[in-house]
Amino acid sequence: MIGPDETSALLLRARELTGRPVVTLGGELEAEIKDVVFESDGGRIAGFTLRNQGLFSRARKDALPWDAVHGVGRAAVMIRDVTQLVPAPELAPKKQARKGDVLADRVLTDSGRDLGTVVDVVLQGGAGLDVVGYEVEAGEALGTGRRVFIPLPDTVSVSGENLIVPASAADFVSDDLAGFGAAVEGFRARLRGGRDEEADDAVQ
Amino acid sequence: MLFSDALRRDVVSTATATRVARVAGFVVAAGPARVALLRLGKVTGDGTLLAWEDVQGFGSDAATVADAAVIRGPRDEEEERLDSTASDILGKRVLTERGDELGEIADVDFDPETGAVVTFITGKETIVGDRLIGHGSYAVVVSVDRSGRRTTG
Repeated sequence: MIGPDETSALLLRARELTGRPVVTLGGELEAEIKDVVFESDGGRIAGFTLRNQGLFSRARKDALPWDAVHGVGRAAVMIRDVTQLVPAPELAPKKQARKGDVLADRVLTDSGRDLGTVVDVVLQGGAGLDVVGYEVEAGEALGTGRRVFIPLPDTVSVSGENLIVPASAADFVSDDLAGFGAAVEGFRARLRGGRDEEADDAVQ
Repeated sequence: MLFSDALRRDVVSTATATRVARVAGFVVAAGPARVALLRLGKVTGDGTLLAWEDVQGFGSDAATVADAAVIRGPRDEEEERLDSTASDILGKRVLTERGDELGEIADVDFDPETGAVVTFITGKETIVGDRLIGHGSYAVVVSVDRSGRRTTG
């Protein structure tokens, strides 16, 4: 029987994590998530800056690296223990973090179509965390002004202005997060199957 | 036996046959899940802690100790922290190691012979004691139900 605590594919926006409590496996509240820190390359996330919880919350000098995340759910971000937090500057030097920040970047397919502008990063929670896509304010190609979700391949090229995705990504666009998990899986399965060319044809 | 039934039970010294305290709370430890300490009220001395090892019997009418002298104060910082209502497991939120909430602890079923926790009971479900990973001031953390599907990330 599948218990109610099973989260097989919890999808969430990176910005939704702001304010989520950071709790150790020992059951102690350590901090809450302040912001997402992006890596300088690949559109990946380096980790999170932290703040203290409550009314008198102060910014903290430590941060949570991506690989120290044990689990992410609806109620909390879990870490093994407090020793896994690192001094914030170690996470990513500020300049690099800005370059790696994909928010407001233009999403271009490798065939040169503008799919829109990144407004948020979609993460898959559960055991650890995985960047699986972007929420995009669509450009002309997908219907101007529409908010859509675009799946991400395992690796992606990013410059701080543009973000390149395979053209087939346009076939797996979703209007809501609920249907997006299947879209990501379908998209990645197609990439593994090496049938990119067909998809290229389909969207042109 | 349920914590809710065991609370406020008399602690009787078998040496003097008198009531020496009353059960006020339970400190649960992980690995394996068990009652590590009893917190006591209505004590005569300064100490309010009773290690499970020093409990002679936990019966349906009273808990017994060989002598009131086994009731003691905290031995270290950790026990000092546990010696307060903040360490009480009843009413505490339950989180899975994946960060999802399973409700609050409504009651705990424990084996009065060994002190082992059999199940944690929340409003929604019954969680076997083996799933306990940790218990702190903010939450009780349990593993994900192994009978269910798992993500591969």
